[in-house]
Amino acid sequence: MSSPQALSANLRRGYSPVVKTSLIFVAVAAVCLFFADISITTLDPWSEMGRMAQGVLAPDFTAVAGIGMIIVQTIAFALCGVALGAVGGFLLAQIFHIGPVRWTCAAVRAIHELFWALIFLQMLGLTPLTGVLAIAIPYAGICAKVYAETLEEAELPALPALPFGTGIISSFFFARLPDVWVHIKNYTAYRFECGLRSSAVLGFVGLPTLGFYLETAFGEGNYSEAAALLIIFYVLIATLRLWMRPKLIGLYVLVAPFLLGGGAAIDMRNIARFLTVDIVPAPLRNGSLGAGKTWSNLADWAGMLLFDQALPGMVATLLLSQIALVATGILALALFPLISEKFFGRLPRLLGHVFLVVLRSTPEFILAYIFLQLWGPSMLPAIVALALHNGAIIGHLVGRFSDQVRLRPDSPRGLNLYGFEILPRIYGQFLAFLFYRWEVIMRETAILGILGIATLGFYVDSSLADIRLDRVMFLIAIMVIFNVAVDALSRHIRSRLRLSTQTGQA
Amino acid sequence: MNRLKHLVFGAALAFSAMGLPAQQVLAETFVFTAIPDENEARLRERFDKVAVYLTKTLGVETKYIPVKSYAAAVTAFRNNQVQLGWFGGLSGVRARHLVPGSEAIAQGFEDQAFETYFIVHASTGLKPSADFPAAIAGKTFTFGSKGSTSGRLMPEYYVRQNFKAAPNRIFTKVGFSGNHSKTIALVQSGAYQVGAVNFKVWENELKAGKIDPKKVSVVWKTPPYPDYQWTIRGDVETRWKAGFKAKVREALLNMKDPDLLASFPRKSFIPASNSDYKPILDVAKLIDLIS
Amino acid sequence: MLFELANEDLGYDGDAVLHGISIGISKGERVALVGESGAGKSTLLSVLQDRYGGNTALIPQQAGLVRSLSVFHNVYMGSLHRHGAAYNLLNLAWPQKAEVARVRPIVERLGLGDKLFVPTGELSGGQQQRTAIARAILQGGDAVLGDEPVSAADNHQSRVILAALSETFTTVVLAMHDVDLALEFSTRIVGIKDGGIALDAPAAELTRSGLDFLYRK
Repeated sequence: MSSPQALSANLRRGYSPVVKTSLIFVAVAAVCLFFADISITTLDPWSEMGRMAQGVLAPDFTAVAGIGMIIVQTIAFALCGVALGAVGGFLLAQIFHIGPVRWTCAAVRAIHELFWALIFLQMLGLTPLTGVLAIAIPYAGICAKVYAETLEEAELPALPALPFGTGIISSFFFARLPDVWVHIKNYTAYRFECGLRSSAVLGFVGLPTLGFYLETAFGEGNYSEAAALLIIFYVLIATLRLWMRPKLIGLYVLVAPFLLGGGAAIDMRNIARFLTVDIVPAPLRNGSLGAGKTWSNLADWAGMLLFDQALPGMVATLLLSQIALVATGILALALFPLISEKFFGRLPRLLGHVFLVVLRSTPEFILAYIFLQLWGPSMLPAIVALALHNGAIIGHLVGRFSDQVRLRPDSPRGLNLYGFEILPRIYGQFLAFLFYRWEVIMRETAILGILGIATLGFYVDSSLADIRLDRVMFLIAIMVIFNVAVDALSRHIRSRLRLSTQTGQA
Repeated sequence: MNRLKHLVFGAALAFSAMGLPAQQVLAETFVFTAIPDENEARLRERFDKVAVYLTKTLGVETKYIPVKSYAAAVTAFRNNQVQLGWFGGLSGVRARHLVPGSEAIAQGFEDQAFETYFIVHASTGLKPSADFPAAIAGKTFTFGSKGSTSGRLMPEYYVRQNFKAAPNRIFTKVGFSGNHSKTIALVQSGAYQVGAVNFKVWENELKAGKIDPKKVSVVWKTPPYPDYQWTIRGDVETRWKAGFKAKVREALLNMKDPDLLASFPRKSFIPASNSDYKPILDVAKLIDLIS
Repeated sequence: MLFELANEDLGYDGDAVLHGISIGISKGERVALVGESGAGKSTLLSVLQDRYGGNTALIPQQAGLVRSLSVFHNVYMGSLHRHGAAYNLLNLAWPQKAEVARVRPIVERLGLGDKLFVPTGELSGGQQQRTAIARAILQGGDAVLGDEPVSAADNHQSRVILAALSETFTTVVLAMHDVDLALEFSTRIVGIKDGGIALDAPAAELTRSGLDFLYRK
């Protein structure tokens, strides 16, 4: 990494805006790195890593009782959550032009699935509905946006030819929807893959999915068992196209609700209490509204949360995510040739694909959890986890994109091909993917706080441990504002640099 | 066309799925949980046995559900999804604070005088002492769970009392391992130099040969305080029958199976009351863990 | 009068392409709009469609089909206004026998019988055009407005199409590029040039060479 002086000198020499922006981000990350704690604190990380490697090499498929049921429930939660989210998102997309609908969707998707799960745990307890809603609600917000954009961009040639007096439902389903259906279908399939990862992670807060058993297995050092669980999960995602047949989806969605497992009964009183008592700031709950003291207490309360928790949490979140963003970019640029026709033959590409599938199928949360066990608590496990997962996703997208590049017959090979022919052509697309991913990285960074890294999630988790739900909601609200702001900034940069992606899947 | 058939179909199914009552309501099953203070496999083994014992003794179907955090245990109790909890001092105080009418009914014999051990990695060179080891300042430090009495509340209290400052000002790094087994593992591996651990878990793991005395040792023991207890909801009397609470208490106090007791590990269970935990409540208020 | 414009400027978004247009078309007329491409035939047709769309079928220039739907579905769209949404959706998922029976003869007459359940995106330009015509025929009504509906058809097909249209609709207004065909088929020719109507006369009074001036610079 070049020194800040060199960078600023470069900036003055008038590079293109794309390069300038890249250099600014690298410089910011370098400064962040200076303030971040990235030490390895375990004295002997290698012996543990060796044990882990042994476990991976000798996965124990018999160790986990009912391994099949764990997988089935992980899929069932993903199916129910994504189905509800997609249908909800689809309906919302029809009224997405209404301001408040758009804002609500933005807020709803700024909150990570795990936080949604923690909120619903308070209202509904450990019930299947908690897991389903934790996926469905943020996914509805995301799908609404993407579907609405798709519908808006569609050319609708048949619309003017429809007979006068055709109802809106008929015209929608005949003349509007079919034109965008393929895109919506592909996007929803992609969302389902994300849903599987989300479902797996929900196990970490107690739902009966993969994460539940993975946490136990890792926590107790049963790496053979953990490896078996993860391998099955990878195979499941790699073979998604084989078992997720269009004809079977209806059947799957019909059966899935019955496979979510039992749980306690839902008590409306718990929901009412959460909404009317628990989340009311403590000073208001305990004081009389007429008293001046109540309001000064409220100001103290908000000030304390803002300055002692939200602010340090945001600083840590920002530090970590900026480093992770740049690390993700570097890794993606290093990884994409693995699957690109321009660089490798069929067999090496296949291996490259397997490698990237493994990396992008493992949720950041689980990767970070593993690295924390290995290296001890610092920002390093989080940075590496975020970079590996997101780098693999962007590497995959850029790799596919690079196959479309047309080369002249006498083009150079190897590093020269990479540096002079491919990189300049894919760089804009690469940056677009990366900036799309920025918001996601930010949201993930916040959630990693639950694992003990002092990002916003750490403070949310602490208030949750104290059952102070008013503080939880206050901090989550700040996180929403923070995330929406980053999203807006990313959009601004993308439009200024005229970057766009066709897939929207980054 | 085929694709649209699936859309229409899928939408209809998804809507019907929304209305499905996926939960089986286990109305008459008496459910309990425990704070996840140790390895899950061990907890499950222990409490599944307790469930069998209670089912037999109470004549009511009894079930243990594992949870992933102290807060989840308290929340499940608060939301009446479990009616009985094996709580720590702090989580018990919280649970009873949130559920009026709930009651501490039994504690382990050892819980009358529980202790926290401050443990250190050998590289610190610290030796055991009777006085609070002021030399731990400037080291890295891990608590157990954020909601633990022996792993958080009491050690934080003594750190604050002796240094007159918050832990994150005293130590170069402060962590929360999650549970006592992990605290021991983290200090033993050197990930943290100092840790605070439940003395019962320490002794249990020492006996089981999981601790390498060359790597990790105890430097200081806190004065005794009341800790773990069984807490039951007040409304079990209406949900099952009058006198149910007394019956549960009796069953717990009469738990004599040495294997079962050894798994806690406790010598026996003795009666307890809410007032036994007044000191815990006071400390929790003092360091602002309960408002 | 079925259609009537009196001294109007026509165009998109206030940008007039045609100026001072006055035209009246009565029931039973078969009108051919001729003139160079870009002269404003499409503009005139779309204005008529906007004003008098109520009982008029439209054949847009690019056929205006939903490419992912089959010929049947695209043709069935011509009858969407006759049924409730539920019945329409039912036909979207499972084409009903009665509706297939209604659509099939129209499609067969236009030579698309073997393509009934083929997505229109997989058809040739001419086949797509005939699908749009079948849709207009199923829709029916007082009049049809067609923008170059036979541009991709050979001579024989063109005659079949035009015959089918004039059987279904009492009033037909078509933009056409084939002047011979226009003279043969229509009862009245409207020629457009330089942003106005340059010619409006019964077809019987006109000859091919009499129309040449419309295409001269």
